[in-house]
Amino acid sequence: MRLQGRHWAFLGLIAVVTVTMLLGIRPAVVPSADTERMYGYLDSLPAGTVLMVSFDHEASSLPEIAPLAQAFLRHAMSRGLRLIGVSLLAEGTGIGYRLMSQTADEYGLKYGTDYVHLGFKPQYIAAILSMGESLSKTYPEDYSGNEYGALPLLSGISNYDDVAGVVSIADGSLTTHWIEYAGARYGVRVSAFVTAAMVTTYDPYLASGQMYAMVGGLRGAAEYEGLIEIGGSGTRAMLAQTAAHVYVILLIIIGNVIYFRLRSKRREA
Amino acid sequence: MRRRFPQIVCGLFGFTLFAVYFSGHPIAGAINETVLRGYWQIIFAFALLVGVVSFARFNLGAIARGSDRPYRIASLVGLFSMPFLALVWGIKGDSPFIWVFDYVQVPMQSTVFALLAFFVASASLRGFRARSVPATVLLVSALLTLISRSDLGDVLFAEFSDVAEWVRDAPSMAARRAILIGIGLGSLTTSLRVLLGLERTWLGSDS
Repeated sequence: MRLQGRHWAFLGLIAVVTVTMLLGIRPAVVPSADTERMYGYLDSLPAGTVLMVSFDHEASSLPEIAPLAQAFLRHAMSRGLRLIGVSLLAEGTGIGYRLMSQTADEYGLKYGTDYVHLGFKPQYIAAILSMGESLSKTYPEDYSGNEYGALPLLSGISNYDDVAGVVSIADGSLTTHWIEYAGARYGVRVSAFVTAAMVTTYDPYLASGQMYAMVGGLRGAAEYEGLIEIGGSGTRAMLAQTAAHVYVILLIIIGNVIYFRLRSKRREA
Repeated sequence: MRRRFPQIVCGLFGFTLFAVYFSGHPIAGAINETVLRGYWQIIFAFALLVGVVSFARFNLGAIARGSDRPYRIASLVGLFSMPFLALVWGIKGDSPFIWVFDYVQVPMQSTVFALLAFFVASASLRGFRARSVPATVLLVSALLTLISRSDLGDVLFAEFSDVAEWVRDAPSMAARRAILIGIGLGSLTTSLRVLLGLERTWLGSDS
């Protein structure tokens, strides 16, 4: 097989990402106003505050979602916030549970007292509305099969009135449903950690105040890691992302130079 | 009656849930709980069943015809092996279900998702051209966004983030808001038409 232009472009991309990842350089990232707002919000909550965290993502976006989720969990757990995990997508359940358990182990936190994971509930709109009526009836058991009443963290937690807010970790539009149903119907404060591709989708909600705070993409994860002063995979991957972006910009420039040269030749002919 | 009855059920449930959404009355709460936790989940379970049966029948038929056999067999093995693993060994901790999820499903999905980077590279080289004024505006916006999502913007000049933020906050947000409002009005109109029985295409054809 003879390599064509696009194949060289693919090989170049692989080379750029591989080399920059191997270099292991962690560039300093200046935090944006959005990221600082989220940090300020979580930092302002007193220790012991109960937050609901929803893992609304699939496995495909894990390389971008995991740094975001870890940065949030590390900040929340290090500050003594108590977390109730749920998931509106089946794939987010196992990932969310593992991320919560791993981060909790870093801080020596105990399942059932400091954090719980209630698991997956199908039909996200129904699930969100149902939790607004009764959390215990929506989730009679947690992800591990423990009865709702047997978990100390959940005693006194009936519905959204008893949590400070919902943090949605999402790679799609599910956060919109949290805003439209939990936020609008039950007055829950909704915040989100989302993939970079979803940032512009949620900008109108953030600007209108329907979403309280948002951190977006790998850069957002790196910014958050900088604020909590814990290096993670977001900071580690930032150089690779920057290099890949520069590479794509170069490809765009090369493509346009070729295009304009061919066009001028055609005109001359 | 075959068409009228589903319309009546649809209208009744639609208007009831619409009213219940805006009510804080305990009866409204009770209706909400019954419908959301009971009826909706049952409907979902049956819809899932229909999907699984349909998928299996379609692929079994294709295997019998000899069309793309290896891929279809792989699909069916995936479809039936995961519930089997979950039912026999559960879905917790170190179960085979989680092992397959972690070491088969997650890498495969991440790989497919990562292929997007190559599509972007290909599109950058071959398709992203400044052919016209609108295309040039789009190109410049894309370059600004690309640079702003990396470290490069801060290195180039200090005000770069402000320019990128302006693109996000003004033109991009204006377009997004217009789309959202359009979707909202369209959804409202379509919903009312369905509930009032004016829109009947969801019932299928008479034949």
